[in-house]
Amino acid sequence: MKPEFRSMNKVRAMAGAELSLKARLGYVGLLLVSAALTTVVVSLWLTEPSLPARTQLAFAVMSVIGVSWSVLAVWVLRARRPLFARDRVIAGGLAVTFSALFVAGCLAAAILSGAAPAYAAFGTGVVMLAVAIGVLLKARRRFAALTSRRRELEAQLGA
Amino acid sequence: MSTQTSNDLRADELLAIRCQLGERAAFADLIARWHEPLWRYLRRLADSDQAADDLVQDTWFRVLRGIAGLRDATRLRPWLFGIARRIAMDRLRAQYARPAAPDDALDELAAPEIDTTLENDLAALEAGLAALPPRERETLALFYLHELSIEQIAALLEVPAGTIKSRLFRARQMLREELTLRGAP
Repeated sequence: MKPEFRSMNKVRAMAGAELSLKARLGYVGLLLVSAALTTVVVSLWLTEPSLPARTQLAFAVMSVIGVSWSVLAVWVLRARRPLFARDRVIAGGLAVTFSALFVAGCLAAAILSGAAPAYAAFGTGVVMLAVAIGVLLKARRRFAALTSRRRELEAQLGA
Repeated sequence: MSTQTSNDLRADELLAIRCQLGERAAFADLIARWHEPLWRYLRRLADSDQAADDLVQDTWFRVLRGIAGLRDATRLRPWLFGIARRIAMDRLRAQYARPAAPDDALDELAAPEIDTTLENDLAALEAGLAALPPRERETLALFYLHELSIEQIAALLEVPAGTIKSRLFRARQMLREELTLRGAP
């Protein structure tokens, strides 16, 4: 075997692991869940009056843990496993669906219980939903632009 | 620009766009198309086949993680060689454990062994190329073997286009002399 081809199989195997869609969407899921749970925890913490110091500390620790998971997920998706155009559309769709369900849940809890934390979580959920819609629209625009250029090039090359 | 060259550039752009879209099969095509040229380029910068194997794997690692963020898909070729070169330079700096400018780092390399039993013109050309100083060897290989333009090479090596032209002129002369010495046609 020519020396330049010896490493090609290793590279192909590495590419298979690196490009796993499951791993990418796993981190998208981690981001969504950690953001939602952190929102609920922070809403409870900030809207509950006269909490004992120990409970305040527990809420603070839980909030830091939640934010840390979100930061980890964002870092992995930016540096280690960046999303491709098609993955971004899928991730954007997941984010919109998840955020909409979260907002609906918070609204139902707010109406049924009238509790202040539920209203606070609802407000944050609406912001999350707006961000998710923005991400999805941007992903769709990018996907459409790349697909259009791809068709153009294929036509020029007669592919 | 010839139709062939123009079509090659379009094919490169199409390949980059398919990868950016996230088409898994496109990555297999990308590796099939560019693994050998990248390995050969890195082999000229490394001192052994094994070192070139390691460098090319690191290069692909970074390419797979970075291609989604490649802003201009038409620049696929210089982008790939730019990553390969940076990885080779980083490895050299780590190897010699002292900071050095990219071109100085190249000068630290020993010239690869020369094949004295030339079997054909291609082998003679390879051997003649290997005998050139690292800067001239790299410039000539990028221009003729990997078909990068003078502007692309200048951007890749971070020197003015005029420097690349003079390096090419000098490299051609040196290669001609080297081939004459070896009695190649």
